[in-house]
Amino acid sequence: MIGGPVIQTRSLTKSYGRLNAVRDLDLFVGANRITAFLGRNGAGKSTTIKLLLGMIYPTGGEATVLGARVAESKESREMRRRVAYVAENKPLYPYMTPAQMIRFVSSFYPDWRSDAAERLMKEYELPADRKVKSLSKGMRTKLALLLAFARRPDLLILDEPSEGLDPVGIEQLLQTLVAQSAEGISVFFSSHQITEVERIADHVCILDKGRLLVDASLDDLRQSYRRIDLVFRSAPVEHEFRMTGVERIETSGHQMRVLASRNAEMVVERAHALNAVSVETSPVGLRDIFLETVRDN
Amino acid sequence: MLWYKAWLETRARFLVSVCAISIISAFFVHHAERVISPEPKRETYFLLFFVHHYLVGLWILSAVLLGMGGLIRERAIGTSSFTLTLPVSRARVAGVQIAVGIFQAILLAVLPWSVILFTTDLIGRAFPVSQAAFYVLLLISGGLVYFALAVLISSLIEGEYTAPAVAYGLVVLSGITFSSVDSLRPYADLWRFMGGDNHFNHATYLLSGPFPRFGALAALSVAALMLLASVAVIQRREF
Repeated sequence: MIGGPVIQTRSLTKSYGRLNAVRDLDLFVGANRITAFLGRNGAGKSTTIKLLLGMIYPTGGEATVLGARVAESKESREMRRRVAYVAENKPLYPYMTPAQMIRFVSSFYPDWRSDAAERLMKEYELPADRKVKSLSKGMRTKLALLLAFARRPDLLILDEPSEGLDPVGIEQLLQTLVAQSAEGISVFFSSHQITEVERIADHVCILDKGRLLVDASLDDLRQSYRRIDLVFRSAPVEHEFRMTGVERIETSGHQMRVLASRNAEMVVERAHALNAVSVETSPVGLRDIFLETVRDN
Repeated sequence: MLWYKAWLETRARFLVSVCAISIISAFFVHHAERVISPEPKRETYFLLFFVHHYLVGLWILSAVLLGMGGLIRERAIGTSSFTLTLPVSRARVAGVQIAVGIFQAILLAVLPWSVILFTTDLIGRAFPVSQAAFYVLLLISGGLVYFALAVLISSLIEGEYTAPAVAYGLVVLSGITFSSVDSLRPYADLWRFMGGDNHFNHATYLLSGPFPRFGALAALSVAALMLLASVAVIQRREF
């Protein structure tokens, strides 16, 4: 179990010429929970992860992972002993076999769990002596996950972990992530699969164009976001509903649909004040929240 | 265990190179010896001087191939993100890769010459071990410059095929330049140095004189500088 944040960034910035891949990112990832990192392609998720792991260097700002400053090479090296990372394309040495990969990786981690590695080899039905280059993408993904899970990390950073897995594999993965979290391992993962995020994440961060737009617990998001469907006797006036927390208004004839990130009750009050014929409030799924957030940006 | 990774990564290149050079050298010695067998013993010595020049060419081709690799090549094939998240410094990753490469380059000189000695012994034309050692030391001390050049190129240029193409181009270009400019030839013509031309006695067909310690030291220093530069480049690069 770890106390403070497992990841913290302050004004973290990464620029490539005029392009800001990450802009003034203030990220706080708490310990002992599953945090999902959402964003469109090119939003800056992978760049942020590379910055955290010392693969690229920040243009500005600072970041710590497990209390270690990522810009300090010695601290970063010690931090990487406690972090397991699975990259998006699941890169593994093509000239090694799974058995050789396990032998190689295990030598760097004193806490390596051979029993867990053996169990996962059987569970994932991985061939021990076939070259990695001849494995399917799903098999490579499973091997990459095995190498991450068996090293007993304090923090798991996963970039699109379910990519390449079949539905059974995805189910196994999600269950394993929940189990890892229950053991006190913090999980930080990026994904485009909103349904997976909704199933396992405790906390959600949404990044777009290098900026952090949402940083909230999934429960809070679910409670605060509301869709309000309104019907009026005559065509409603949109500007009556433009208030703090209203993200979007769609009007069609006498009907109006309002999406509110907060203050839904004020929208309802205003609708009643304007003699709405029907007022229906419903919860909003993470998918809509995500789409709305990045659309507005 | 980084050495284990470096070995698995390069073993195919190394084994193919060492087998090819050894077989070609042994075949050449054995075949040519039959042709000139009635000749005096010193003809064998000349033959070995000749063989060594072929060996130098093949060794450089192989050493450049062995110098390819490292984190930039890994970036091209997508595995650098895995290596860089291991709890080891980039300098150590690069250092082990270089050390394994140097060890293989040394074996690439020693093993073929051992096969040559065995072959000459087999056909009853024994060759002095001290002479073989002289050839091997010249080959390694001069040749490591080419290995280091390959390592430096592979840390600067991305691409699985671009880096070796550039490295081979530079090897040929430097060879032509240094051998054709009279003022440079005595100091910078590594092919002559590695081939033993500067020490070849045309009367005995043996290498004579003391081992060129300063020349070897200068060549090794150039190689070391290039290797240090490649490590510095790797430490600053972004992946």
